[in-house]
Amino acid sequence: MERIAVSALRKTFTLKPGQTVTVDGVTSDRIAVLDGVDLTIDSGEFITVVGPSGSGKSVLLDVIAGLTEATSGVARIDGIEVSKPQTRTAYVFQQYALFPWRTALQNVEYALEVRGVATAERRDKARHFLHLFGLKGFEDRFPSQLSGGMQQRVAIARALSTDPQVLLMDEPFAALDAQTRDILQSELLRIWEQIKTTVVFVTHSIDEAIYLADRVVVMTARPASIKEIVAIDLPRPRDLDIRNSAAFNAYRGRVWESLRDEVGKAQRDWALASSYAN
Amino acid sequence: MSLTIDRIPPIRNTFALRRKRARSKRPTALGDTFSTLMLGLPALIAFALLWEIAPRAGWINALFFPPLSQVLSVLWEMIVSGHLANHIGISLQRASIGFSLAVVVAVPLGFLMGRYPFFEKSSDFLVQTLRNTSQFALLPVFILVLGIGEASKIAITFYAAVFFLLINTIVGVKSVDPLLVKAARSMGTSDWDLFKKVIFPSAIPSIVAGARLGVKTSLFSVIAAEMLAAQSGIGYLIQNSSLMLETDRMYAGILTLTIIGLVLNYLLVAGERRATHWHGTGESGPN
Repeated sequence: MERIAVSALRKTFTLKPGQTVTVDGVTSDRIAVLDGVDLTIDSGEFITVVGPSGSGKSVLLDVIAGLTEATSGVARIDGIEVSKPQTRTAYVFQQYALFPWRTALQNVEYALEVRGVATAERRDKARHFLHLFGLKGFEDRFPSQLSGGMQQRVAIARALSTDPQVLLMDEPFAALDAQTRDILQSELLRIWEQIKTTVVFVTHSIDEAIYLADRVVVMTARPASIKEIVAIDLPRPRDLDIRNSAAFNAYRGRVWESLRDEVGKAQRDWALASSYAN
Repeated sequence: MSLTIDRIPPIRNTFALRRKRARSKRPTALGDTFSTLMLGLPALIAFALLWEIAPRAGWINALFFPPLSQVLSVLWEMIVSGHLANHIGISLQRASIGFSLAVVVAVPLGFLMGRYPFFEKSSDFLVQTLRNTSQFALLPVFILVLGIGEASKIAITFYAAVFFLLINTIVGVKSVDPLLVKAARSMGTSDWDLFKKVIFPSAIPSIVAGARLGVKTSLFSVIAAEMLAAQSGIGYLIQNSSLMLETDRMYAGILTLTIIGLVLNYLLVAGERRATHWHGTGESGPN
């Protein structure tokens, strides 16, 4: 069943007054970020999106989340056009975005609180999700008293507490150290296999993208469109050791092959931009 | 494809900066407080001794500088007679009414100005002008317009506190982490909930810091007002004693003010710490 449908999505940003960009000799105060993205995602699918830095992957998530309006084209969830944040969508950010004045438990409660769920019920539910992520005993800690990995667990618990049909994740593990990252990838897969929600996961890491995904979406350099979609036919449940298998290696080579030119383009873009900026 | 960016805006994160500073200012363990007290005590004792001995030995005029013991005994008499409590009560009442009014006006206004650039831009010039006009210079105006009764004293305390609160509320509202706003929006937070559950709590440390500055200037302003035109209050007590050349009574009044200032400061710092208790203790969990 089709859950998310993105069609002919374009997004152009207007720069602040006084700022301009020069693209191919033409000076403009607008910058094209997404240039016609078409993507259909099935219910319960785990999609990862890779692409060079600044290629508009996050903007794609923002549009699906209803936080940013597309310049043209549409994003639909269950056939309904997204124009504002949806209650069935949850979003996880790279920098956790926990409320520092709320304890871990109160942070998880927040999403239910703004939906008007009664105190006792939301507390039970929040506790359940914290325990699911192994955070029993840390309910009353403030974010500043938790490690990065634990903070991101709280943020994911908060996102899942509302039983979302769509989970958007914007490089959620990029700020974590390698071991924590591995652990959280496995934890996420373990929990996802139980709830089978639809996930769109943006990452820089090719290994992470392949390990988690049913399909890896490769984006081009800005203005971004979809370059290639690689279906990952690896058995589930997956073990971290799968990353050493020949099949995984083949996927790694294939995704990298697809990404390499785009990364090169993006780098030339930025090198030039910084040489002019100084 | 080539791309150039003419001007890259500076990236600033005042919130992170403020947090860092607040953390480094955090008081250390009780033992440190005690040792600070022990280190500071000799200088205080020396000052008290000098105050006691200098007038008695005739180094300074005892009429202008009565010995500390004489001041303390007058202070004690005033405490026992209830005279002092009366003056303190009146001064604190005036200051707290003016301060409360300032909170009621400044906090909502600060929210509007911090959240909606139109309000800030249209009122910034006026605010800056008023803010740099001394409340003491305006006292004659308050007296002319409001009379020598309570109203003019409340007005000066209001004026003294309102700008600290206003500016700090604006700063607090503006320094809300945009990511938290984005996260809240993604969870379907309504405008009102965004205000109540995200912007307000994250502005609280800044508002409380403004309140701390505001309370002290409120109190000091009411003292000044009482010196010029009043029949009661600590300011009146000090000024009146000075005119009557009852210098021991005058110093008792000054000493009272100092003690009130110290206690108030202690309470406000404690309150500030309570309001920002979530800023962390440096303790961190395992991964």
